Amino acid sequence: MAILTEARPRAARRAKTIRNRDGWWAAFFLGPQLALLAVFLVFPLGFAVVLAFMRWDGLGQKEWAGLDNFAAQLSDPMFGLAVWNTVKLALLTVPFGLGLSLLIAVALNSVKGSGFYRVLYFMPVVTSSVAVALMWQIILAGDEYGVLNTSLERWFGITAPDWLGDPGWVIVAIAIVTIWSSLGLNVVIFLAGLQTIPPQIVEAARMDGAGALRIFRSVTLPLLSPTIFFSTVVAVISSFQAFDQIYVLVNPEHNEGARTIVYQVYELGFKDFEFGMSSAAALILLVLTLLVTLVQFAAQKRLVHYDT
Amino acid sequence: MKRALAILGVLALATTACSGSGGGNVPGTSSGQGQVTVRWSTWGSAEDLKLYQKFTDDFHKRNPGIRLKLESVARYEDYHPKLLAQLTSKTAPDVFFVGDDNIGKFVSAGVLTPLDDKLSGSDSKSKPEDFFDGIYGGAKRDNKIYGVPNDTNPEVLWFDKKALKDAGITEDPAALHEAKQWTMAKYLDMNAKLKAAGKAGSIFWNWYGSTYSVINGFGGKVWDGGKFVATTDPKSREALQTLAKGYQDKTFLSADTLPDSNGPSTQFLKHKVGFYAGGRWVIDSLKKGGELDDYDIVPFPSQTGEPMPGAVAASYLAINKDTKLPKEAFTFLTEFVGKDGQLLRLKGGGAVPSVKGAEQIVLEDKYPAHAQTFLDVRDTGFANYPEEVSVPGLTADINEHLMKVWTGKVGFDQGMTELQKLVESKLG
Amino acid sequence: MRSRQVALHAVLTIGGLAMLFPFVWMLLTSFKGVRQMLNNPLDWLPAPWRWENYPDALAAMPFGTAYWNSFYIAAINVTLTLLTSAMAAYAFARIRFRGSGVLFVLFLATQMVPTQVTIVPLYLMLAQFGWIDSHLSLIVPTIANPFAVFLLRQFIRAVPVELEEAARIDGAGRWRCFWNVVLPNIRPGLGALGIIAFLASWNSFFFPLIFLNSPELATVPLLLSQFSGQRTAIDYGLILAASAIAVVPTLIAFLIGQRKIINSMAASGLGGR
Repeated sequence: MAILTEARPRAARRAKTIRNRDGWWAAFFLGPQLALLAVFLVFPLGFAVVLAFMRWDGLGQKEWAGLDNFAAQLSDPMFGLAVWNTVKLALLTVPFGLGLSLLIAVALNSVKGSGFYRVLYFMPVVTSSVAVALMWQIILAGDEYGVLNTSLERWFGITAPDWLGDPGWVIVAIAIVTIWSSLGLNVVIFLAGLQTIPPQIVEAARMDGAGALRIFRSVTLPLLSPTIFFSTVVAVISSFQAFDQIYVLVNPEHNEGARTIVYQVYELGFKDFEFGMSSAAALILLVLTLLVTLVQFAAQKRLVHYDT
Repeated sequence: MKRALAILGVLALATTACSGSGGGNVPGTSSGQGQVTVRWSTWGSAEDLKLYQKFTDDFHKRNPGIRLKLESVARYEDYHPKLLAQLTSKTAPDVFFVGDDNIGKFVSAGVLTPLDDKLSGSDSKSKPEDFFDGIYGGAKRDNKIYGVPNDTNPEVLWFDKKALKDAGITEDPAALHEAKQWTMAKYLDMNAKLKAAGKAGSIFWNWYGSTYSVINGFGGKVWDGGKFVATTDPKSREALQTLAKGYQDKTFLSADTLPDSNGPSTQFLKHKVGFYAGGRWVIDSLKKGGELDDYDIVPFPSQTGEPMPGAVAASYLAINKDTKLPKEAFTFLTEFVGKDGQLLRLKGGGAVPSVKGAEQIVLEDKYPAHAQTFLDVRDTGFANYPEEVSVPGLTADINEHLMKVWTGKVGFDQGMTELQKLVESKLG
Repeated sequence: MRSRQVALHAVLTIGGLAMLFPFVWMLLTSFKGVRQMLNNPLDWLPAPWRWENYPDALAAMPFGTAYWNSFYIAAINVTLTLLTSAMAAYAFARIRFRGSGVLFVLFLATQMVPTQVTIVPLYLMLAQFGWIDSHLSLIVPTIANPFAVFLLRQFIRAVPVELEEAARIDGAGRWRCFWNVVLPNIRPGLGALGIIAFLASWNSFFFPLIFLNSPELATVPLLLSQFSGQRTAIDYGLILAASAIAVVPTLIAFLIGQRKIINSMAASGLGGR
């Protein structure tokens, strides 16, 4: 007893001194990440902003360009096309990809032995995007060469498009590959989310006479909505930034249906050496990403149910 | 203990990271035992690069003090951008390939070493005049040589006898050529028949070689007295219109826009197309999966059937102005482009020598049957027009613009007007 | 109820086969020759089996070196990411300092910046450092990882404060609290993040594509991309043999650790809660 009463004021004093030094400790703990972030992200970002107002080919002198780069990009039909393709890709991959993942997760949640399926669906997630692109190149090859089209033709009499060669279809092909390769991740995330739903709630709803659909709509979806929201935000951002698979699967230089904003940034910067233009296009991408994310967060207030 | 081990492990890895980084970033670094490493770069897929292995082994044997290090980029269209980025950041290799559509830009940028003195010097395996003059193209400016042609690829029409037969074509283009009856009219007629038989007529790469060969075949001109007349000369315009129409109804396919997994070589091997415009490198693809006897070559057709000059593709080997190893870099360059080097590299396929007196390499395999055509086209052919190569980036801009016309993104007449404007603005 | 189970299993199996098919097709094709691919694209089995595709692919590009490069780059990157982001996460979760909230939001906001926005300046900067064509360009810039900090902060907040207070009463300072109390308690979080960061580094393609030149420095995905190419890409047997060489070891590693890996990735998705 005596020891305890002794200890208390000392502990309090000690806690106070620690708190006084907290500023330093915070600096120490945050230091490495902050420093790296400043050097490799914040500084280049600032530089990119400056470059966006310059004309520079990397070799000669930098020249002030004002808003010319932005104006040029915004009026460039190629940039418009890139934006449209980017949006299309997001519209194809996010709803379909997440919807499919959700269905599979719900199915997995109600069968025994889901572990085996989890592994199957997850395999593409750990596979390098370059390999994924090469695997699909041969499956999606046009006319009588690719196994997908030949099979569709022979078994179902469907003449499928030249997925990778036709600018009108290539974004669909990219979406298929993207959904295939990211499906497993969303499935396991949703499945984990589903497993946090207390079975009592579902049971109670069932006792009240709710059918499976009703339970899904009124119990599962609201309780899963934070997870769905998180996955949506991540999926939108990553579809806006998609590059690897597209670059290997089809060469967007020659198939304009596959040009995305990121490809535009890459081409302007590392092929045309219009560093200013490239930065301007990149900043527009950044603004677009921020806007879409803000919209999602705004929508979240209405649609997402937090149980806390 | 466990933690100590883990930390040691990380440290060990970190050390490798740092040592691993030392090698590459400075042009021309030495690597112990008095050996120096000359870095050089080219384009090509993993399969293509195997062709250089023999030369490299041979070079190492004869030059024990020099190690060659090849840095490659898989796609041609990615190669020059990367090279330019390396030059910007002073990390470019000592010696590098430059394509004929890009050489003008690099010469203008002043990043290449002038080679005249060295080529005429005693260390040189071949003198400037040992190379065919017509193929220096943009590598020569103001009588200074900035790059030596590695080899050449005379643009010919490969044809698939089986595809032609399937389309009911009985005449042999090579025989017609020998009889001086290989005319544009005949060629277009064959294309139409191929199209009617459910195949494509011809595959072209979108570059001046194919486009201007067709223009010449119509009897048209591209440049006349320093002026770009391809859109104004009626015959040239007709040629371009024929191309545009053919691309749109799929009589012609643009190799550039075909997907990798069903590319020009695949379509040609699958007998889906009658003609494929390309160089001697097509042999490599045919050998992989084709019935070699189904294929032969013929020059581009002319208006009258009389032989006419054809286009010759070339790439150049140039030395980085900032190289720390100018002597060794030149040793590599001269061996690579010299006669012996070309004979070693071009055995069995790949390209046609750019150096005089190495013709036997093209003829010795007796493949394709009319292999002599390669040499004929080279000897009378042209690299790009001097008016076009002297303006950096012009030829690339023209091709890019024509692509819009081929794909139908821009209407033909509008496209021609815009093209003319584009060229004139570039000429200044 | 029984029949519903059967139906679900059937649907899931069909879906699973669709997921599996590209891998199977890759393996089968990797043993085919060009002729078979051209003439009988629907054949399931190679005829004849072209085993040479594998030695040919291995001879065409230095896969062994690439494997080592990818591995050690990922290992160092992951170690440093885990250490520094756990530290930062600890500061945000447990240390009160002025502007903590604002700083955290700013920190997270940088996650919104696409890599490509900074790629040009980053390239020029790394060239100044002499890091172009060096593995440092792959290891260091990606250590800064707001997502990792965010995720670990969630995990640290779930560790009872009492544990730390008890340690403090025993005289432990901030560092010892962090190292001896917090870190051991967020092992699952570290494991999850480690796997995510490892996969991200192992599979990354954009940075190696732009920053590396030398073949002996190439990572596995970069090396693999060298096999595609329009002009001569007809030998998909060879190309897919190369893909299999790149993919199969990763898949085996995944199958061995699948439970842990999948659970980790699932946990990362719940970080948003």
